[in-house]
Amino acid sequence: MAGEKQGTLLSRLTTVDRRVIYLLMTLVVAWPMFKLVTLPVLISKEVAGFDREIEALTAGDHVIFAFDYEPDVMAELDPMSRAVMDRLFEKDVEVVALTLYPGGAGIAQPVLESAAREHNKVYGEDYVFLGYNPDWSGTMLRLGESIKATYPADQFGRDTRTMPILADCDSYKDVKLLVSICGSQLTEYWAALAGGRYGQKIVSGNTAVQAVFIYPFYQSGQIKGFLGGLKGAAEYETAIERPAFGVRGMGSQTMGHLLILLFVVIGNLGYLAARRAGTGGSGGVTGGGGRA
Amino acid sequence: MQWFDPAKTNILIPTLVFVGLVVGYIITARRGINLFVRHIPGLDAIDEAIGRATEMGKPILYSPGLDEMDQAATVASMNILGRIATKAAGYETRITVPNRDPIVLSVAQEVVRSAYQQAGRPDLYRDDDVFYVTYSQFGYAAAVAGYMVRERPAANFFIGHFYAESLIMAETGQTTGAIQIAGTDSDPQLPFFITSCDYTLIGEELYAASVYLGREPMLLGSLKAQDMAKLLIILYVLGGIVGAFFGVNLDFWSGTSGAGAGG
Amino acid sequence: MLERTLPILLATVAGLFMAAQFFIPHPAMLRIYNLALDWKQIVFGCTLMLGVVSLIRFHWRKVARRAPGAFYSGVALVSCLATIGTAFFGIETGLYPWLYDRVQAPMQATLFALLAYFVASASYRAFRARSVHATLLLAAGAVVMLGRVPIGDLIGFDAGGERWSLGSLASWILDVPSLAAKRGILIGVGLGMISTSIRIILGIERAYLGQSSGEGQGRS
Repeated sequence: MAGEKQGTLLSRLTTVDRRVIYLLMTLVVAWPMFKLVTLPVLISKEVAGFDREIEALTAGDHVIFAFDYEPDVMAELDPMSRAVMDRLFEKDVEVVALTLYPGGAGIAQPVLESAAREHNKVYGEDYVFLGYNPDWSGTMLRLGESIKATYPADQFGRDTRTMPILADCDSYKDVKLLVSICGSQLTEYWAALAGGRYGQKIVSGNTAVQAVFIYPFYQSGQIKGFLGGLKGAAEYETAIERPAFGVRGMGSQTMGHLLILLFVVIGNLGYLAARRAGTGGSGGVTGGGGRA
Repeated sequence: MQWFDPAKTNILIPTLVFVGLVVGYIITARRGINLFVRHIPGLDAIDEAIGRATEMGKPILYSPGLDEMDQAATVASMNILGRIATKAAGYETRITVPNRDPIVLSVAQEVVRSAYQQAGRPDLYRDDDVFYVTYSQFGYAAAVAGYMVRERPAANFFIGHFYAESLIMAETGQTTGAIQIAGTDSDPQLPFFITSCDYTLIGEELYAASVYLGREPMLLGSLKAQDMAKLLIILYVLGGIVGAFFGVNLDFWSGTSGAGAGG
Repeated sequence: MLERTLPILLATVAGLFMAAQFFIPHPAMLRIYNLALDWKQIVFGCTLMLGVVSLIRFHWRKVARRAPGAFYSGVALVSCLATIGTAFFGIETGLYPWLYDRVQAPMQATLFALLAYFVASASYRAFRARSVHATLLLAAGAVVMLGRVPIGDLIGFDAGGERWSLGSLASWILDVPSLAAKRGILIGVGLGMISTSIRIILGIERAYLGQSSGEGQGRS
């Protein structure tokens, strides 16, 4: 009887109300933001590859920096954008920034402006923001022929032909490295179109979900290094010895992952108990009438 | 003046081989030779889903994905939409198609209108059922999720190329109790669809599905060509592995262009 | 003729040209290629207008007919027109960037953040050790989840001058078995895309015209 009661209790673990999960998730992710938890971050080989390519740049080299994301993934990608931009300006690299997302302009400007202010960079000479172009595949291809023809004017309507930074930089041939910070599969298209057709060297920063799909391109050498998700940002901040939001966010991310694992374990305990008790135990989260 | 870039020989040869396979199999198919295509379980569920919606008197929701019309997944999605819309029209079941891209919207409207005409029910077609939502990714997801919660469609189809919003839509649909069928070539979203949907067409099953449903010889021929090309690639990879054991380099041509240079 | 044959002919010619020019570096081909890219940019810009017009038309009809949800259609219309209107007064300062920073960005970020909840509930509901395969998947998922946060690097030991941890195991899973599967899917999807493109160039695939593909193409 006691065993049966325990079985029933355990099998109830398969029917936790989804609102309980949501509440706990909120609490465990928020908590480390108030009670700061710092965890040591080890640098992976993909991030080491990314860092190597950035460190190989010298003063005066041109880099295309593609802010290929919007506010939805800002929390994950902004830390890496800021860290990389800081490092590029620190090395006096000339940055040609652009975005292939309509909402990307609002992301790019604050990152560029704050880094430029910190390193006393002059717009038009040390960096330029070309802005948004709706035709992403055409843009990737056209940049291989002429940057100025693809973007006759920058984000602010200024003529790109008169800008000192673009005087000796008009295509991928003049660009040492392309940095794609991207929340979608655009990095793969950069690798195919810019890398495959024009031989442009590429490194990338991607969301954690997307980063998993960059591994084939990294292994084949089409992408020389990449930062995967907030952990990638934390690793790069550690590599350049500038811990910032990436490192800070590791506490919340760790707690979130642990909570999900806990619920997976709880769900499976309940499922196994229900199976032993012979009740089938397909289970499911309640509070919505979803199909089991 | 160069008429051919020799550095791209390693791309030209496989391209010509593949085009040759496609043309060859299409000719074979047109001659009436039967080309076997394996059964795709997810496609059986389409009839079940449409039937369920008809019985419940609820609409069908069809999301063609978030990519533009020039992407293969969207083209395949339009093919499948045509088949589903024709069946739905036959059963007098409403089908709603929210769109993220304006050109896909135009094509979807044409596809659904034609489907209703083909089913002999042009009077049932409503322009408002195939509508534009927003270009914003999460705006689209919010709109579709909101529609699912309000209208409670009995069947949800997510066929096309999706991004991070896929889980929001699939999970919301799951909570409404709808039968859900997904098909995407977007690898990162496959795990989310598999956990939240009843059936999922994985990767190129999506392309195969559009061919399988119609069974037109020309399309079957191109599908078989894909299979044959994959077989050739597998044999080449195996040959490379064996060759590596004996010091024979089958990779002699990949260093000739940026496309295959690697490293 | 205009409705069917001309678009198919255009698609065939354009497709064949773009394929050919990839291999032919002749200056004349390059000039036409650059022209085609310029046209592509212009067409893309115009499609955004199509979207706005369609959006306004859809919601205006709902408001005019006082259909269910007309209030929210009104909100959508006012928001759309107000945002467009504020842009005329400048995009660098003023109301336009304020709307972006205080309305659009937080809303987009919030919606994306919802994924954390959905992932948690989906994982809890779906990840069951129902079979050997499912158990393996579960174990691999758990290792990768732990390995992708700093705690995964801490759970391990040093041996032979190397760090053996959940983090390194997660990296191996992503580097070897997962990568192999993804590469297979990538090749398959790539071949599917090429096949679809060939069908469009040959005029067999007509879904982009709103027609069923392969119809009447010599059914045997």
